[in-house]
Amino acid sequence: MAEHAIEMKDICKDFKVLNRHEGLKGSIRDLFSRDYKTVSAVKDISLTVERGEIIGYLGPNGAGKSTTIKMMTGVLEPTSGSITVNGRIPYKDRKANSENIGVVFGQRSQLWWSLPLIESFKLLRDIYMVPQKDYEDMIELYRSLVDIEPILHKPVRQMSLGQRTLSDILAAFLHDPAIVFLDEPTIGLDVSMKSKIRSLISGLNSEKNTTVILTTHDMGDVDALCKRIVIIDKGMKIYDNDIEHLKSYFGSYRTLKMRIGTDEWEEIVIDEKTTDIMDIIMKKQKEKKIRDIKIEEISTEEVIKKIYEGDAK
Amino acid sequence: MTIRRYLALTRAGIMESLQFRLGTFVTLLGNLLYIILVYFLWKAIYASAGTESVNGMTFNDTMIYLILATALFNFLEMFVVWDMSRSIQSGKIILDLLKPMGFRGYTFWSYSGSHVIMFFLTFLPTSVVVFIITKGAIPLGLNIIWFVISTVLALIVNFNIEMLVATLCLYTESTWGINIVKETIVLLLSGASIPLAFFPETLSKAVSFMPFRAVYDIPLNILLQKNGTECMSGLLPYLGFQALWAVGLTVLSMVFWNISVRKITVNGG
Repeated sequence: MAEHAIEMKDICKDFKVLNRHEGLKGSIRDLFSRDYKTVSAVKDISLTVERGEIIGYLGPNGAGKSTTIKMMTGVLEPTSGSITVNGRIPYKDRKANSENIGVVFGQRSQLWWSLPLIESFKLLRDIYMVPQKDYEDMIELYRSLVDIEPILHKPVRQMSLGQRTLSDILAAFLHDPAIVFLDEPTIGLDVSMKSKIRSLISGLNSEKNTTVILTTHDMGDVDALCKRIVIIDKGMKIYDNDIEHLKSYFGSYRTLKMRIGTDEWEEIVIDEKTTDIMDIIMKKQKEKKIRDIKIEEISTEEVIKKIYEGDAK
Repeated sequence: MTIRRYLALTRAGIMESLQFRLGTFVTLLGNLLYIILVYFLWKAIYASAGTESVNGMTFNDTMIYLILATALFNFLEMFVVWDMSRSIQSGKIILDLLKPMGFRGYTFWSYSGSHVIMFFLTFLPTSVVVFIITKGAIPLGLNIIWFVISTVLALIVNFNIEMLVATLCLYTESTWGINIVKETIVLLLSGASIPLAFFPETLSKAVSFMPFRAVYDIPLNILLQKNGTECMSGLLPYLGFQALWAVGLTVLSMVFWNISVRKITVNGG
């Protein structure tokens, strides 16, 4: 077994894209065009992930998250740089790499659509050659973490989105992989399902010491699960540290919430170094009556937003 | 044991096919309509020819051949191209690529279950009905065993033709047109819609070297013990021809697939 779960060094990934032209004429011209441009999706990312970590892998849409994950799974080959996953080079040995990873990609399901969930489990057991004993232990573990009885014998196509996502996560952990990639697992789910899925992920992580790479846009996921977060933007890594440290970046920031008029809360993020909170409250008070005031520490969501908008550094 | 993986896929395929009972019955009904159409078409052709046999085949020969060809077509039919283009567009193909087994093997065995079901639901009943109505046009003997071997080879040839076209999808992204062209070519040149005996001589010579007849024409000839397949010296060249194409196409489609997947991993999909 390798020391680190994932080790990436100076990874770059370029794509060749055809320059498309506008209009019908342009489309016809494109048919014969050799006019390619190179787009670099990932630039010089280095990243080391330890065993058993849950990493929040964040970044705005189009930042290069999926591209990096595809490289870690071996579906894409990096243009330059070195990468090892469980001590293997994933794109060189995709089959062997697959035995040791699990994936859940947002809205796509790897389950057999028309069959009851238990059949998908049995099939995955055979495909991944999981010994019967380990398989039974795993199902037992699942039972202790979530209530799987109601979905176990339900055909996947009849499941709600939440049940299906839950099933997909269980399916990804079934062969006890060293690393599981979860790409936006809570997208489109209701609050109670989200918390169910979060506790399932953290339960599986602590029971099996599985490394989890979690991409999400939901800061609730990050707060609930991740100690360490990595943020990339425009293909570059812009942050890699624990979540507390991130907040201290913005230590002087506070969220001021005021209830003005009936029951609408107004939110303002304030940097105490440059602005005085009392000034703002007083200014507001002169305009209208303030019914309630709260001053909170900046939320992860606000921090991330600030970073995406380029306020860090 | 790796065989466990494959059999698990077959088993799941069988269960999945059984979920779509209604679809199977619609297929059967569609076949019936098709056969009625074919019946009247060929009746008219034979009537206008004015002779008992055309190109060495009587009306009965032709009908038996075409009915069995239709049943065999349902039995061997695969939707690799169609499924592949869908999973490329939805991005689901990543999940299939990340299974710990080769993509081609995974695909082939995923379909195997539906072949088993289609054999029992279409080919077997059709053959029994033909056997009863014609009072023994299908000889019962060693030819059945040879037919099974020949059908397995046909399955391999068919799968690799499908796989070659499906791999093209990786480049074109749109596949509807390509798939229609492939289907027409296979149906025509394999003898599934018109018996090969009816082809003009030059064309039939050309076709006799192509892989398509390995899919329908050869297994049917073996089953019906036609065209010299009743003796070993006539039979072996046919099976050899199939085996040759099965091996050739397997190598070809494997190489093409591996190169293409490699291209995707370099250029992204």
